Amino acid sequence: MTMDAEKHRAVRWLAGPLVGALFLLLPPILPAAESVSPEVQFCLSCHSNNTLELVLKSGEKRSLYVDVDSFARSVHGDKLRCTDCHGDISTFPHPTRSFKNLREFTLAYYESCKTCHFDNYTKSLDSVHYSILSKGNLRAPLCVDCHGAHDVARPSVPKSRISKTCSRCHQEVYRQYAGSVHGKVLLQNGNEDAPVCADCHRSHDIVDPRTASFRLRTPELCARCHTDEKLMKKYGLSTKVLQTYLRDFHGMTSSFHKREQIAGSAITAVCTDCHGVHDILAVKDPRSAVMQVNLVKVCRKCHPNATENFPAAWLSHYEPSPDKAPLVYYVKLFYQIFIPFVILGLLLQILLHIWRVVVNR
Amino acid sequence: MARARQGYLIRFSVRQRLEHLVIMVLFLLLALTGFPQKFYDAGWAQWLILHLGGIDRVRWLHRLSGILFALGALLHFGVVLSLAVMKRIELSMVPAKKDFRDAIITLRYYLGFSEEQARFGRYDYRQKFEYWGLVLGGNLMIVTGFILYFPTFWTGFLPGEVIPAANVAHSSEGLLAFLVVIIWHIYNAHLNPDVFPFDASIFTGRISEERVEKEHPVEYASLIAKKKERAAEEAKEGETTIQEEKAKSPSRKDDSD
Repeated sequence: MTMDAEKHRAVRWLAGPLVGALFLLLPPILPAAESVSPEVQFCLSCHSNNTLELVLKSGEKRSLYVDVDSFARSVHGDKLRCTDCHGDISTFPHPTRSFKNLREFTLAYYESCKTCHFDNYTKSLDSVHYSILSKGNLRAPLCVDCHGAHDVARPSVPKSRISKTCSRCHQEVYRQYAGSVHGKVLLQNGNEDAPVCADCHRSHDIVDPRTASFRLRTPELCARCHTDEKLMKKYGLSTKVLQTYLRDFHGMTSSFHKREQIAGSAITAVCTDCHGVHDILAVKDPRSAVMQVNLVKVCRKCHPNATENFPAAWLSHYEPSPDKAPLVYYVKLFYQIFIPFVILGLLLQILLHIWRVVVNR
Repeated sequence: MARARQGYLIRFSVRQRLEHLVIMVLFLLLALTGFPQKFYDAGWAQWLILHLGGIDRVRWLHRLSGILFALGALLHFGVVLSLAVMKRIELSMVPAKKDFRDAIITLRYYLGFSEEQARFGRYDYRQKFEYWGLVLGGNLMIVTGFILYFPTFWTGFLPGEVIPAANVAHSSEGLLAFLVVIIWHIYNAHLNPDVFPFDASIFTGRISEERVEKEHPVEYASLIAKKKERAAEEAKEGETTIQEEKAKSPSRKDDSD
C-alpha cells in the first residue's frame, strides 16, 4: 500500500513539468495572475489544475489546487511567493516528502508563518491551544486553521468574523454568545462596539480561562470597556461599576488574591459569577441573572443560606444616596460631620491648654 | 499587689493595669489590620496587607483580635458590675452633673475668663469622656463587626442595607477612635506639659501623692479624711484585744472604676 502511494505521488510530481511546459508554450490566461509574481505564476502552471491531488498514506486526499483568484485577493497575494512558505519545494521536480496524514501535512507547513509573524507565533506558544498541541492533541488549532492558508484575509473584517472563526470548534459557546447582549448587537445589528471572543480571550496568547489567574483578571477585562466614559455614555451605562465592585468585599478580595497570586480556585465573586459569561444579558433584561427578582438565586450559588433580604446587602454598583441606600448614605453623612466635630473640639481644647500653660509661665 | 512607696499612692489595681495593656495591644492590632482594609487602594495599605501575609490572613487576624476585644469588654463589664453589686468598688467613672460644671470651669480658666480651677475627683471629665468614648465606640465596633462577620445570619431578619451601613459605621467609627487616641490620648498621656514625657501610672499602678493632690484634689481630700478616720479607728482598736484585730478581714477599697 505504502509503495503504491509513493509511486502514485511520484507520478503526480512528474506530471508537473509536462503541464508546465504546456503553459510555457501558451500565453498565460490566468485572470488575476497579473497581481501575483512570475514565480507564483510558474507554480500555478501546475497548481491551477483543480484535479491535482495527493493521496496520503492514510488514504486521505490532499488537493494541490491553488485558486489563484482567492490567493491574489488574500493579504499575501501581492507580497509572497509560493516558496516563501513552501521553502522546501524550491526545486523541480519537488523533493520527496512523506506525510502519514493530512494533519501531519498541515503541521509541517504551519510553522512557515513565523518567518514573518514571529511575534504572534511566540505569543501562540503561550496559548492553551499550543499547550494541548504539545501534549499530543493534534486537533489543536494551528495558524492556518483560523487564518486559512492561500486565502488569508484580515481576520477582523468584519469584526464578527473572529467569533465565527472560533465557532468552528467552540459551537456551544458561540450559541450562548450569539444570544448574549454582546453577541446580539454585533451579529444582528453589526455594532462593532460589542466584544468578540478575542477581545476577552485574546487571539494568539489565549490562556486557559478555567485557571484562577484568568478568573481574577475578569474585572480588568470587563473594565476595559465598562470604564470607558465615551463608549458607556453611548449606551447609558455607568462607568462606576469597577470602582464600586473593588470597594466592596468581593472586589477587594479578588484584587488582593490577584496580587498575591493565590493558586487554586479563589473563592470570591468576579463580574461573570453574577452577570454570566458568554450568555451575559443586559441588566434590564427580565431574564438577566442580576435582575432584582433573580438576584437571590445568584447569591445562593456561594451563600446557600441567603434569604430574600440578603441581596440588598450589595448596593448593585450604586453609590449610596438618599434614593439608593438612604441608611448607608446618612450614616456616612453623620460621620462626615461627627468626626471633624469631635477632632476639632479636642484639638481646640489641647491648644487652649497649651496656651494657658504658656501664659501661666 | 505592690505596696505604695513613700509619697506614692496605688492608683490602679493589677486588673486595671492588665485591662489597659490588653486593650492597648488589641487596639493596635485592630488598627493595623483594619486600616489597610479601609484604605485598600493606597500604596501603604497594599504593602502592609501583602507583608502581613495577604488579605485572608489580615482579615483572620482582624476577626481574631475583634473576638478577643469583645470578650475583654464582656469580662470588664461583668467584673465591674459584680464588684459594684458586692460593694467592693465605687462606680467612680459614672458621669455626674459636676463633670459638666468642671468642663465649663476648665474652659473658662483656659480662656482666661476666670482664675478658678475645677477641683476633680478620682477621674476628671476628660478621663470620663475618654472612658465612655471607648465604651460606646467599642460596643459599636463590636456590634457592627459581628454584623459584617455574619451577613447571611443577620439578613435573616434585618434588611440587607444594614450590612453596608454597618460597614460605613465600622470603618468611620474606627477612624474616629484612632484619631481620638492619636490626638487626645497621646496628648494627655505623653505630650501634656504636666506629664511629659510619659504618664506611667497605668503601667506601674503608682501615682505620686503630690499629683493626686494637684490633679484630683477632691479625691485627695477624701483619702486624707479616710486616713484620719482609719487612724482614729486604729487608735480605738488598739484598746481592744489583738485577737479581735486579727479576725477583722482587711478589705481594702483601692479598686475603683
